Amino acid sequence: MAIRYSWMSPRLALVPAIVITAVAFVGAIGWTLYISFTKSRRFPNYDIYWENFWRQYKRLFNDPNWDTAINNLIFMTIGSALAILFGFILAVLVNKEKTGEGVFRTIYLYPLAVSFIVAGIVWRWMFNPVLGIENFLIELGFENASFNWLADKDTAMWGVIIAIVWHGMGFYLALMLSGLKSINDEIWNAAKLDGISPWKFYTEIVIPMLKFTFLTCAILLSLGVVKTYDIVLAMTGGGPGTSSWTPAYFVVNAYATRGNMGYASSAAFMMLLITLAIFLPLVLLTRWQVKRRAREAV
Amino acid sequence: MSNIDISQREFKHYPEKKRKIKGSSIITFIFLAMIAVAVMIPLYVIIVTSFKTLDQITLGRIFDLPTTWTFEGWNKAWSEVCSGMTCNGVKAGFFTSIKILIPSIIISVGLASVTGYALALWKIKWAGGFLFVLFICAFVPFQVIMIPLVLITAKLGIYGTFWAVAIVHGVLSMPFLTLIFRNFYKDIPPELISAAMMDSGSFWRIFGEIILPMSGNIIIVVLILVITGVWNDFLIGLTFGGFGAQPMTVILANTVITGTGAVRYNVDMAAALLTAIPPLLVYFGLGKFFVQGISAGAIKG
Amino acid sequence: MPEIIFKDLVKQYGYVTVLEDLDLKVSDGEFLVLLGPSGCGKTTLLNMLAGLVEVTAGEITIGGKDVTDLDPKDRGLAMVFQSYALYPTKTVEGNLKFGLAAQKLPKDEVTKRVNWAADLLQIQPLMKRKPAELSGGQRQRVAIGRALVKNVEVFLFDEPLSNLDAKLRTEMRLEIKKLHNELKKTIVYVTHDQVEAMTMATSIAIMDQGVIQQFGSPDDVYDNPENLFVAKFIGAPPMNIIAATIAKTGDKIFAAHAASGVSMDLSAYEFTSEPADGDKVYVGMRPEHFVIGDDISGKEAAQFELPVLYAEKPGSDGSAYLDSGDEQIAVRVETAMVKVLQQPDARLKIAFPDDRFSVFDASTERRI
Repeated sequence: MAIRYSWMSPRLALVPAIVITAVAFVGAIGWTLYISFTKSRRFPNYDIYWENFWRQYKRLFNDPNWDTAINNLIFMTIGSALAILFGFILAVLVNKEKTGEGVFRTIYLYPLAVSFIVAGIVWRWMFNPVLGIENFLIELGFENASFNWLADKDTAMWGVIIAIVWHGMGFYLALMLSGLKSINDEIWNAAKLDGISPWKFYTEIVIPMLKFTFLTCAILLSLGVVKTYDIVLAMTGGGPGTSSWTPAYFVVNAYATRGNMGYASSAAFMMLLITLAIFLPLVLLTRWQVKRRAREAV
Repeated sequence: MSNIDISQREFKHYPEKKRKIKGSSIITFIFLAMIAVAVMIPLYVIIVTSFKTLDQITLGRIFDLPTTWTFEGWNKAWSEVCSGMTCNGVKAGFFTSIKILIPSIIISVGLASVTGYALALWKIKWAGGFLFVLFICAFVPFQVIMIPLVLITAKLGIYGTFWAVAIVHGVLSMPFLTLIFRNFYKDIPPELISAAMMDSGSFWRIFGEIILPMSGNIIIVVLILVITGVWNDFLIGLTFGGFGAQPMTVILANTVITGTGAVRYNVDMAAALLTAIPPLLVYFGLGKFFVQGISAGAIKG
Repeated sequence: MPEIIFKDLVKQYGYVTVLEDLDLKVSDGEFLVLLGPSGCGKTTLLNMLAGLVEVTAGEITIGGKDVTDLDPKDRGLAMVFQSYALYPTKTVEGNLKFGLAAQKLPKDEVTKRVNWAADLLQIQPLMKRKPAELSGGQRQRVAIGRALVKNVEVFLFDEPLSNLDAKLRTEMRLEIKKLHNELKKTIVYVTHDQVEAMTMATSIAIMDQGVIQQFGSPDDVYDNPENLFVAKFIGAPPMNIIAATIAKTGDKIFAAHAASGVSMDLSAYEFTSEPADGDKVYVGMRPEHFVIGDDISGKEAAQFELPVLYAEKPGSDGSAYLDSGDEQIAVRVETAMVKVLQQPDARLKIAFPDDRFSVFDASTERRI
């Protein structure tokens, strides 16, 4: 009896998780895809546009705002990669210096505990042209200082990127630091005995050893960028004009502001495809890594 | 040379060696300190601005300390600022956020720990496949499933209540938290589980009597993730809370970003700081676990 | 030619003293093994010699040159690490060459040295592989190769065999010994394994609690342990130690063991300081030095007849454990005897020759 009982219980315990996965994830994705082919506006309307099946997607690809969103996505991914770079450099220095490691890590990481909305509000305040950093620089004597980036559509994204780098740098630092600490102490000692220069040691040994950490960081970063919404809203409200829209911003705007559920769904589904395109390498990579580990263990 | 007992040794002090402090070491330290200062700037600015009078703020000089320290901004932010039609300050949002937080925690931790336990320690043939699905679900952007979730919560009649927000948080965090629990439970020595199964064999008794008492650390890590995640969330609260259940971030955003009328920066900054204080307290209080949490979050699979 | 001298060496971590006033001289071409239980300070000492751990006080000289505050790379050493510490991103060849990169040698010199080491260690076929694709023994060879190509006079080994299985360990032990015989370099080798120490070393420093308990040749530390710690640490099964009281009769000196009532005649023992009548001592007897049963001639210094507690045959030799009343006495016996001794109520007659004792003062625990 007991055996039968314990055969059932674990399966019963998994029912809620399975239902959630089936309904809220798999089902909802299918639902979104379905809505993207329907005439839904503010409220769902399950009539499919048979006569013009790809209507929402054609509209989407011709929408200059979607173009902007995709361009910003690429631009932001590249710009935010600075967070990984800084994170790595800081991790190397913190790890090398040891003194004050805990304090530095605590300081570098605290922005992560702050919400994007709060982060955006603070940075918008600092970018304020009349009362913010620009004013401070001018008073210091830099007459030509221009820090009013958010008001210019060419620099607004840079402003957002600075805030994102500030927010996320500590996260990548923490990941890199744990990567560096996972390298066997004796390898550092061997390099010391061999008299290998730090540059050679980092470029030829450490960075290649951490390539999985770097890849993980890069993928997490791009997935984060795809979802970027709050900080853009708080800093620029999508502006000036629509110049700082992101895919996530586009979806929420199409749904909540323009009240077009079908259109929002088509953009949302594109977001999923972008995510999968980024995500697929990670899956393959982990598979490969598991295999490699298995081989090494032999 | 004899067999000396270490405890009987007298401790001898040696003069501190004149250590060669390398130049590069000093430069590195100064560099790290400068970056630390730069990272602290926004926090500094938000704090000093919140204590300034509006008169001082309009002079510019964002980095100056307040000439007169005033709680005016804080008072107004807490109980007077307007969000849409209502002017009850961020206070209302604070209590809504807490009302959302408590069921969120219970749902997320309960669901994820049991699921993770079942997948990690019980022989279920399709566990691997299900984990893979969860792994993918953990990365699905919220916007992709947002509209159907709105429709479902509307059907259930909970749309616009804090229950909707809490449940959606619980549902959305389930895949990710399950993976964290599963990875933790997977490292429990299998002998222990074998012994437990021979002794009792009951799924729930093993969970309650052996697994849960061992889960202290991982539960703290997950709690930190859930608390900071739910508290800092904006979009779920905005989408599912309607007008009736606006969490603190939504009130803050309404006040500062879409608010109309004269801008009162000290009030804005005080409101932002009030919203940021709970997660910051969690961070500075439990920093060690916070780091573990994000590491657990990144290294999975 | 390098001679390594440690002078008044001290290492403290905060208020914990790890090494205290340590003096040691390693002659050129010597194979010194630092042997001791874990936490005895042997690895710290090696790392201080390598320059990986800072010295609190005292000095280290290599070949007359003070290296106490020198960078590791400037000390003219090569080291083989416990985990091998191969550079995982480089091939075997890359590993051998990478260590030479800092020396800025001409290219053909590098190739010559790498080929020489690869031939010597028979790793030529592995040159293009990455460390992850090598077995433990192969990694070990590469690690040694990486040290050899540096062409230095002093090699350091930090428990290099502890990650290998028993069979490979024996093989590599012989190989390292052979390398030492061929190359005649100075080697400082850290281990907690006494078999490694006894078989490879030209001299052994036995350490405990940050102090060198005895320094000498393997035979010396085995036959004439300086104190109780060394006596108990070296040998398997270890030396039998029994407490006894000195009793002098005329010009003869006896040690009386109360529990068994046996008096051991120590007249032939060469005391460094002769004990007084009634002094408490410890008498040490190695299990393999006992004379057994019919072989007893009667001229031995002590005779016991004791009940057998148990007997076993772990390999080519048998051991019997006897009840002396207080301490157990281990005795090496012929394997053929084990069966007989396993009978219930078996007793064994043993004797101990007069020239094999070790005697220690009971209070200082030092050899007298």
